[in-house]
Amino acid sequence: MSAIEIFQIWIAAFFTLALFSFLYRDNPCYRLAEHVFAGLSAGYEVGLIWNSVIIQQMIDPMFTGGEWWLVFPGLLGVLMFARFTRDYHWVSRIPLAFVMGTTAGIFLLSELHGKVLPQVQSTMRSVNPSEGIGGVVLSLLIIVGVISTLIYFYFSKEHKGVLGGVAKLGIWFIMVSFGAHFGYTVMARISLLIGRVQFLIYDWGDTFTRIFS
Amino acid sequence: MKTTVPVIIAFLAGLVMVLAFFFDPEKSFVGRLEPEVLRWVTIVGGFTLLLGVVSIIRVNYGGVHRRSSGWGYKLATVVSVFAMAIPAMLPTRMSPLFGNGPGSIYDWLFNNIDAPMMSTMFAMLAFYIASAAFRAFRARSPEATLLLVTAVLVMLWRVPMGEAMLKGIHHSLPEYINTYIMGGANLAVQRGIIIGAALGAAAMSLRIMLGIERTYMGN
Amino acid sequence: MQAWLIIAYGLLIVAGVALLVFAFRTGDRRYLYLAVLLFVVFPVVIVLKFPTEISPETQLLYDAVEKLPDSSNVLLTFDYYASTLAETEPMSRATLRHLFRKDCRVLTMTTIPLGGPSIAERVTREIAAEMGKVYGVDYVNLGYKANYVAVLKGMGSSIEAIYPTDNSGTPLAKLPMMSRIKNYADISFIIAIADNDIVSYWISIVRAQYGTPVGTGVTAVSAPQYYAYVGAGQLTGMLGGMKGAAEYEALVGHPDRATKGMTAQSLVHLFIIFSVVAGNVIFLIQKRRAGAGGQA
Repeated sequence: MSAIEIFQIWIAAFFTLALFSFLYRDNPCYRLAEHVFAGLSAGYEVGLIWNSVIIQQMIDPMFTGGEWWLVFPGLLGVLMFARFTRDYHWVSRIPLAFVMGTTAGIFLLSELHGKVLPQVQSTMRSVNPSEGIGGVVLSLLIIVGVISTLIYFYFSKEHKGVLGGVAKLGIWFIMVSFGAHFGYTVMARISLLIGRVQFLIYDWGDTFTRIFS
Repeated sequence: MKTTVPVIIAFLAGLVMVLAFFFDPEKSFVGRLEPEVLRWVTIVGGFTLLLGVVSIIRVNYGGVHRRSSGWGYKLATVVSVFAMAIPAMLPTRMSPLFGNGPGSIYDWLFNNIDAPMMSTMFAMLAFYIASAAFRAFRARSPEATLLLVTAVLVMLWRVPMGEAMLKGIHHSLPEYINTYIMGGANLAVQRGIIIGAALGAAAMSLRIMLGIERTYMGN
Repeated sequence: MQAWLIIAYGLLIVAGVALLVFAFRTGDRRYLYLAVLLFVVFPVVIVLKFPTEISPETQLLYDAVEKLPDSSNVLLTFDYYASTLAETEPMSRATLRHLFRKDCRVLTMTTIPLGGPSIAERVTREIAAEMGKVYGVDYVNLGYKANYVAVLKGMGSSIEAIYPTDNSGTPLAKLPMMSRIKNYADISFIIAIADNDIVSYWISIVRAQYGTPVGTGVTAVSAPQYYAYVGAGQLTGMLGGMKGAAEYEALVGHPDRATKGMTAQSLVHLFIIFSVVAGNVIFLIQKRRAGAGGQA
């Protein structure tokens, strides 16, 4: 492990512990780390857009590939900054409408074709006794669960009578799903903490043995 | 005009995407127009990301200029923005430390300061969720009890020690949890949510294309 | 199990319960934080090995990749922020090792503007160096382009139209691997490692329209929602959280950080379950006392 590698691990460890110090109480170290983080993140975006959009997608194709028309999307992009002006902020609606319209056109079909239809099709399961009691229970669970969930989220009619009863069943299914979500969420958060502790113990801890050996 | 022109642009852009779905991508006009429109969208979308950066610099620079409370921290933010951005924007042929490739200042700052801090911020949530679980997670009703019991079963099932404990109760219990809870009840609810949300998204997309929905334009 | 291990873990449990009692008595949640920290640090230092059972969803992904002909073109996405590296990076590493072992040509990209390209560069270069793979011949990093919807849709017609160069600025035409990959039709499989809802767009835009099979690795927060897609056959396999990563590491035969983290994960889960049960028992006792006091 070189001196540079040890130095960069120590820098990472310093900022990690500075943020963790907030768990004890707010302090200047934490605040400094927080503000540096915000600045670096913003700076990262600038570097990324400069290289991946302005240079790679506009300047290089225009000057070496002869694709001069790419100046137009560039101008559209610059028009976005009009929203910081008082009198001409409406000009930023033009590039925004272009992006939103394109996205809407894609979503209109992809949501129906790629999500609704396949998911509905998959719900139309045959309740086949030859699959055994387990298969029958699973199929019924899915069919009843999907229908009762959809009915629970249907608020255009009051949940009374049969509709109310099915919606109530939907709530039970939703509680099971939310319980599963909570269990997985706990797992996710703990995993992230384990990752940082592994860095502090394995990587940062290793530098101590290198320094003092 | 300030609203009509953007509405027309949104409609035409969306129409190209919808028509391109049905026409031959190589032989038809819309099919050949679609990739170019998408290319333009990725370029314009890049500039959108810079809006946030401009805001952050304006707010923090203003604070530094006025010497408002905590202006030292705001100065650190502004300095950090430029420390990251300027080396990334300089050409690599001047020095391998410039640009955005491996070994550059940009790459070093991200991997050794920004990324560890991002990881740490989310790692802190582990403490908060443990605290919330102890203080607030109560079986106040039958529904809440069902939620709690399911959460406990899933938390046990997703870790090796817990899985071993469940197998000790019944050897197929982990398999039943995966099949009937995750792949049964949970799947059904998620499917219902996906179908509902997708229908809503499709409806909203149609509203945007037809100019009925204009909230994205702001005031 | 060795006696000293049993004593050590026994003391840990006693300390955890004691801290929980202090937290309840004093109302200071920092005792609880300390307990969680203890239950994470201790097993990271003293690892207890437990066998990892492979879930059907992980096995499905592994089998799909294993069945790919050697030298297939595979798209591996790094659609995650640095905040979830603990869960997602082990998935990327394990899948990359698997793909490189099969001599697959790996194309990487990201839809995450904050850090995605840097993470993709770092991870792919490390694993490629470990397995003797050459950039431009065995793997290419496309990097990032804005507006993920346009990117996913545009790559169906032409990858070069959206990505004229790779992440470093080298024109795609100069990279030998890219002479065989023009769009999704030339890609055999997509593995989307993500910490957000982008996977549902890989399914609805790419899988549905272009037919390229998609497998995924997602954080535990989003894993429950993707069971619907796995069940419908729209997803060919799923790795869920750090456990999913540990399972894939076991299948690939290279246990790494996800596997090492499973002991800590187990202990903290058991501690949280204990604290939830304890909290509810205290709640019930207090409720009964309040009820009895009211009646009196």
